[in-house]
Amino acid sequence: MTSAVPLGAFIAVSALLFFIGLGGVLVRRNAVVILMCVELMLNAANLAFVAFSRRFGLVDERGSVFVVFVFVVAAAEVAVGLAIILAAYRNRPTVDVDEIQRMKG
Amino acid sequence: MLQLIEPFMFGLLTVSILGAGLAVVLAPRITTSALAMAFAFLNVAGMFVLLGAETVAAFQVLIYVGAITVLILYGVMFTPQQPRAYGLFFQGQTPWGALLAALVALPVVIVAFTFVDAGVALEPGNDLRPLGTSVFRDFAFPFEVASLLLLAAMIGAIALVRREREIEEPPGAPHDPQRRGPRR
Amino acid sequence: MVEGPFGIDPVLWAVLRLAIAIVLVIALIMNGALLLIYLERKMQAVMQDRIGPYHVGPFGLLQTFADAIKLIAKEDVRASQTDATFFIAAPALVFSPMLAAFVVVPFAPPIVGADLSIGLLYLTTLGAMGVLGIVIAGWASNNKYALMGGLRSAGQLISYEIPQILSLVTAVLVLGTLSMVEITELQPGPITNIFVLPLAFVTFFMAALAETNRTPFDLPEAESELVAGYLTEYSGMRWGTMLALTEYGNVTIVCAIMTTLWFGGWNGPGVEAFPILGILWFTLKTYAFILVFMWIRATLPRLRIDQLMSFCWKGLIPLTLLNLGVTAALLLAFPDTLVPVAIANWLLLGAFALGLPALQRRRLRRIRARLGAGAMPAPRSAS
Repeated sequence: MTSAVPLGAFIAVSALLFFIGLGGVLVRRNAVVILMCVELMLNAANLAFVAFSRRFGLVDERGSVFVVFVFVVAAAEVAVGLAIILAAYRNRPTVDVDEIQRMKG
Repeated sequence: MLQLIEPFMFGLLTVSILGAGLAVVLAPRITTSALAMAFAFLNVAGMFVLLGAETVAAFQVLIYVGAITVLILYGVMFTPQQPRAYGLFFQGQTPWGALLAALVALPVVIVAFTFVDAGVALEPGNDLRPLGTSVFRDFAFPFEVASLLLLAAMIGAIALVRREREIEEPPGAPHDPQRRGPRR
Repeated sequence: MVEGPFGIDPVLWAVLRLAIAIVLVIALIMNGALLLIYLERKMQAVMQDRIGPYHVGPFGLLQTFADAIKLIAKEDVRASQTDATFFIAAPALVFSPMLAAFVVVPFAPPIVGADLSIGLLYLTTLGAMGVLGIVIAGWASNNKYALMGGLRSAGQLISYEIPQILSLVTAVLVLGTLSMVEITELQPGPITNIFVLPLAFVTFFMAALAETNRTPFDLPEAESELVAGYLTEYSGMRWGTMLALTEYGNVTIVCAIMTTLWFGGWNGPGVEAFPILGILWFTLKTYAFILVFMWIRATLPRLRIDQLMSFCWKGLIPLTLLNLGVTAALLLAFPDTLVPVAIANWLLLGAFALGLPALQRRRLRRIRARLGAGAMPAPRSAS
């Protein structure tokens, strides 16, 4: 079965989403928003995995399996990340990553 | 006519994904960011459906929209709104940063756009059985390791946010202004 | 692409079919909600020895129509300090997953929106999406009762999703498919799944009560402590959408899942000859469950939030996990017959039904003993 949308288009969307997320991580200073942008980047990777697994030459379902593992890692990351943010917020009432620098020498 | 449906859906989803992604990064209010993120997740699930991976799309909605967005909303609720939304925008290194980002991003995007299509695609749908088979046969060990990771993350998260039993102050003791607890 | 009737172009037919389906489902939800509210009020009235609605129309049948017209005609009120985007988005976020869930409900052999191969997973997914809308509604209202209601609701829904999904997984393990139509076709005769998997049904039923915010698990809207939970700031049709339409729509969906998985769905006498008769059997079975839901609401008091959570995490989840493990092991050991699975399930159900009251009685005795010791104990603060 051939498809009207080429594989490259999916990969391009994935790349753009990844860079949007990366830009967010670098630009935003709110720790919660940084977590959100990391999630966007993981989603971009997922999209690339699924696109390759469904459309690339040696079609194989295994790309989708890696997406399942990415889900697991994302869930663990958000849980621990939010816990760290809340713990840091309890010590100093800010979630601005520039202001959390007490460990600096 | 039928051949136009797929590109049309693809365009719609692309615009939504990129728009929602930009909204996450640029929105001044964190609540808007969270909602836009949920919207981006939903549209990525739509992309999965377009690629014919229904099961992955269902898991995407179940985990990202149902669980991760709710968790992040909890984070939004428990932390204050920030006056300074994007601090790094107007600093000296912006042009250098933009140049560097463009140097990295351009080749990637160009390569992605010129990617040679293999011309082969799986039949859409029915990806549940192969997915299950590969998870529980070929990748059984990584799957167990992933479950261990989840367990470790759960214990870690609980240990991090658990409040130590505070030393009981005598009733009527003056409140220490230096000690700032979380906003009640 | 399905060829349409009367030689309609397949593309046109696809669009037409979608439009017809959406109109039908919305009509079904609206009328279903009106009817169910009337039924609920009348049933509770009968059980509590009252008359119930009787002024508007014969037997008060038009009462809910009058209420609905009042809700639609009401002024659209939004408190000034609410978060506008979220406040308006929340009812839609709660309503749309419920609407989308009707796609895979198998009403009758010819009447199924789409026979997805992942039908059950799809339903679970949409159930999880509803949490988002509820959290957002609680947050956007900028009201402490609404916020607490939303947070409680999110905790409750996320917790009870686990036993719900585990019960479904147990059933799917036996059935071997996720497609709602195939599940229905697997149980044609009088021997339906309920005879094989009674414990999975009971656990799913309890989790479903919590998932749809019905008594005894309707903590999010506990009016004695939380005013109206996450609905506090809502009024008019937004309130109507969130409470009436969504709640009763969700109840219908959950009852439809139970009907399909455990009671043979559309199967009944005469379905082979007249497939359209399936609607009758399906509706009758679904409404029987809805009546049980209402019966429970009229009978049982509400639980406390800590009791609710500890029942889920200490009672339901270990039980469903045990059931899943036992079922999987027995299916591996006896791949040809379901009799051992059925026996194990009935035994576990018996242990659950007898063991829970025994445990409760022991706990009560311990509390009474502590009270009898007379050292001013406070059993509530101990938990």
